[in-house]
Amino acid sequence: MTYTRRTLLAAASAAALLIQPLAAAAQDLPRNVRMVIGSTSTGGDTYQNSAIIADALAAHLGINVKVDAVGATEAFKALARDKRGNTIMIFHDQSYLGNLYGVTGYDDPFEGYTVGATVAINPGNAYLVPCTSPYQSMDDILKAAEAGERVRVAIQPGGVSEIGFSAMKNAARVRAPGSEANLVPVNTGAQSDKNQAMWDDLADVINGSIQANEQFTQLPQDDRKCMRFVWITARAETLEQAPEAGMGGTTRDDMLKYASPQTSVTLDGEKDFTFDKEFFFLFNKEMDPGVIAQIDTALTEIFAKGEIQERQKEAFFIPNFLPSEAAQQHLGDKRDTYRKVIAEISGDS
Amino acid sequence: MGSLTQVTIDFEQSHLLFPTLIGGILLTLGLAIVVTRRRRIATAGAYWRGILSRMDRLRLLGTLALTVLYFSLMVPVGDLWPNTGLGFLICSIPYVLATGLLYMHEWPAKQVAIMLAIAVIGPGLVWWLFAEIFFLTLP
Amino acid sequence: MEFLSLITPLFLSLVIGGTFVGIIFGAIPGMTATMAVAVCLPLTYSLGLENGMALLLGLYVGGISGGLVPAILLGIPGTPSSITTTFDGYPLAQRGEGEKALRIGICSSFVGGVISLAALYFFAPTLADFAIEFSYVEKFLIILFALTVMAALSSDMLMGIFSGFLGIFVALIGVYDISDGGNGKLRLIPPGTEYWLDSGFSLLPVLIGLFGLAAILDQAELGVPKGQSREDIKIGKGSSFSFSVFKGQFVNLIRSSGIGTFVGILPGVGGSAASILAYSNAKTFSKHPETFGKGEPAGLIASESGNNGLTGGALVPLLSLGIPGDSTTALLIGAFTLQGIQVGPLFIGNNPETWNAMIFAMLVANIAMFVMMYGAIRYFALVVTVPKHVLFPIILMMCVIGAYTINYGIMFDVWTLLIFGVFGWAAVKLGLEIAPFIIGFILGPSAEVYFVKSLESFGDLTIFFTKSWIAGVLWVLILGSLAGSVYMSRRQAKATDADGG
Repeated sequence: MTYTRRTLLAAASAAALLIQPLAAAAQDLPRNVRMVIGSTSTGGDTYQNSAIIADALAAHLGINVKVDAVGATEAFKALARDKRGNTIMIFHDQSYLGNLYGVTGYDDPFEGYTVGATVAINPGNAYLVPCTSPYQSMDDILKAAEAGERVRVAIQPGGVSEIGFSAMKNAARVRAPGSEANLVPVNTGAQSDKNQAMWDDLADVINGSIQANEQFTQLPQDDRKCMRFVWITARAETLEQAPEAGMGGTTRDDMLKYASPQTSVTLDGEKDFTFDKEFFFLFNKEMDPGVIAQIDTALTEIFAKGEIQERQKEAFFIPNFLPSEAAQQHLGDKRDTYRKVIAEISGDS
Repeated sequence: MGSLTQVTIDFEQSHLLFPTLIGGILLTLGLAIVVTRRRRIATAGAYWRGILSRMDRLRLLGTLALTVLYFSLMVPVGDLWPNTGLGFLICSIPYVLATGLLYMHEWPAKQVAIMLAIAVIGPGLVWWLFAEIFFLTLP
Repeated sequence: MEFLSLITPLFLSLVIGGTFVGIIFGAIPGMTATMAVAVCLPLTYSLGLENGMALLLGLYVGGISGGLVPAILLGIPGTPSSITTTFDGYPLAQRGEGEKALRIGICSSFVGGVISLAALYFFAPTLADFAIEFSYVEKFLIILFALTVMAALSSDMLMGIFSGFLGIFVALIGVYDISDGGNGKLRLIPPGTEYWLDSGFSLLPVLIGLFGLAAILDQAELGVPKGQSREDIKIGKGSSFSFSVFKGQFVNLIRSSGIGTFVGILPGVGGSAASILAYSNAKTFSKHPETFGKGEPAGLIASESGNNGLTGGALVPLLSLGIPGDSTTALLIGAFTLQGIQVGPLFIGNNPETWNAMIFAMLVANIAMFVMMYGAIRYFALVVTVPKHVLFPIILMMCVIGAYTINYGIMFDVWTLLIFGVFGWAAVKLGLEIAPFIIGFILGPSAEVYFVKSLESFGDLTIFFTKSWIAGVLWVLILGSLAGSVYMSRRQAKATDADGG
């Protein structure tokens, strides 16, 4: 056993020697940065978007940035453990929506962490009905609820997938108080489960996305899998920045038909509810603000060059860079709006 | 008849349904085991004493102790050079060496030297491949 | 045949290189096909779609296939999908027939891969339409059928079934995952451990803990007996392999490949279920089911053709519904979106060249896998001759890498490895059985979601019997498998009674 102790001691003293020069070069963003993301999927939009940003940052600053898809709870844990700026996080609106919906593992990101720059929007969040559905539009759906018809909406509860459904309930409440009770959630999981819920006739409306569901809208009417968009939650200003050809057989003009103002899901009787899924940075609360400033500056320079926008658009993201301070303001306001919506409908459901 | 088989699931409580069901089955099976094997269970003390007396305590407990030490040190050591995987490399070398020596029955100089070489080259190669080439996150 | 212009030397070398790297990932305990694809995914952006796909599909086929090597030679499944390969492959290797077992496994893998590829090429859209007939109810019954193998694998029926249910129970620890359709609430967590246990135990660390670390602890307890010499093991000798092993296994091969393909097609049922189902089917229909788990080539054939059948099958929903069939194909979606290509029901029609190139890449990957692995058998087999004091520490270290990297860097997964290593070592002494336990653990979460969701959606217990004709067929299989196990255990009990006088 002496071998172990001796080797460990040797390793420890070697470690002590090596760390000295490294400690001197702190302050800036470290040479090896770990970017954790709130999704466990390396095939999903969060990973895609983060990989684009990580590549750009790494090339621009001459450092290594590694994206790790550890999932929301583990990502927040990893971020909380590291004050030195070796770990940074990218996630989207789920980070505070999870908290608003009271999901386990979601603290208030504005309290416990520092919210940083926004980088992109995924404009794809959408609601769909089967092609055979009697509902042609959101208006039909809300009217059906008013008329006392039960409308079942398949969502994944507790976040981005639910917020549009909460908005529907809120709109129903504004239009005819009490009718929101006729909009009932069908709690499912991933996109495949939501689609399946439609095909099994367990849901009348499903949450989906332009990217994942567009091709189903191009199928022949008599195909059991055929779907129609009824609502795209993104703002018109966001969609207008999408490529004109849109996606697949759906042009940008087609998409705009399903978004506010052409398709209206009211927020308060005057304004429409909109939801853009925005990706932004999150940092450890006690991390050196210098690092945040450094990332802001780097991103400003990267976005000024204009290459990253092309790459984002290729992957159907809308470039949306706001430096930290502006982003905090913007996301804070956004959160407050949704908090009200959720509070309004949970009062009487 | 119809109403007997009907069930309503409260989504908010649905996380408890299946664990309760499986827990119930486990309990039933556990009871059945206790009842049918009570004689064997009564002699469990002697059975375990037998196992304990026969086991190679040094190697078994040594493996466990080294492994616990290895796992515990990896992260703190790695934190000295964040996101480089060096915590893994620095801890693996002594761990592989110590475990290897623990499992050897005698320690001829040549064998020890070979083990030392393996303990350096093995983790080194693996670290280089996974941390540098494949760019995986290691402690 | 315009796609032929896409078949460049670069394309071919990417497929073959990918297969090679995949085999290595698969062959290292703890490293999986999914991980191989994940680490190479960023490369595909610069490679372009067809070349990127060539690399990833090679990795996928290689990764799934490589898992059989440690499963057979060391009794440690290299990937979760080769779990059932250990049940018969390892006993064969211990009998000195490791090389024969490797040959059987590799041939079966190849057949499974090619059959599922053919299914993918000719029937993808039709199969996808059939797959969506499977609602929560049918999926639950499929899982239930796979679970019946717990009974079949038990040497002591009562203890085996108890172990299986314990496996399910342990798998339920942690959050009822929202992304699977749960409500995101925690359960079964001892107070004070929420910080670590909120996501429960991950499959891979549990698996390598139970099979890798536990086996090493077992050896340590015995004082690590000196390694056998090369002659003792007789890897090459006494294992006259000839293709006659496959005589009478034709139906098994086709059926297992078909099951693997079909499980791949069902989104959500999961990759590891493919080989478990194929295995339990082979056992149910076998004339001598008592030899399973003791080195029965038919079990090895079922397992390996089943898990390679998965490769083509999992691409069916990906390319015809835009929905991944398993965790590895989920990553392929990323490669498509990086290139701005939509996957969905129109993919094949809109991108015939990419589609043909992918099929071709899969074919080349299967052939390359077969040639490389068959040629390398002798070198694989050398693993067994490495002295244990060298082999064990290295395996332990690899298990640590596998556990740490499976979820992209979570230390608790490494501790899980240790927890289940110790559990696996102690469990055997308590009379618990590891094979049913791990099967319960693998299938438990899906069983929960499909069971609870069936009731939540349909609100009636009778739905499990009345949903569709598919449910009826599945019940016949479930009852058949259970009856088979009961019959067998009776016969065994009688035989031991007769022996014991």
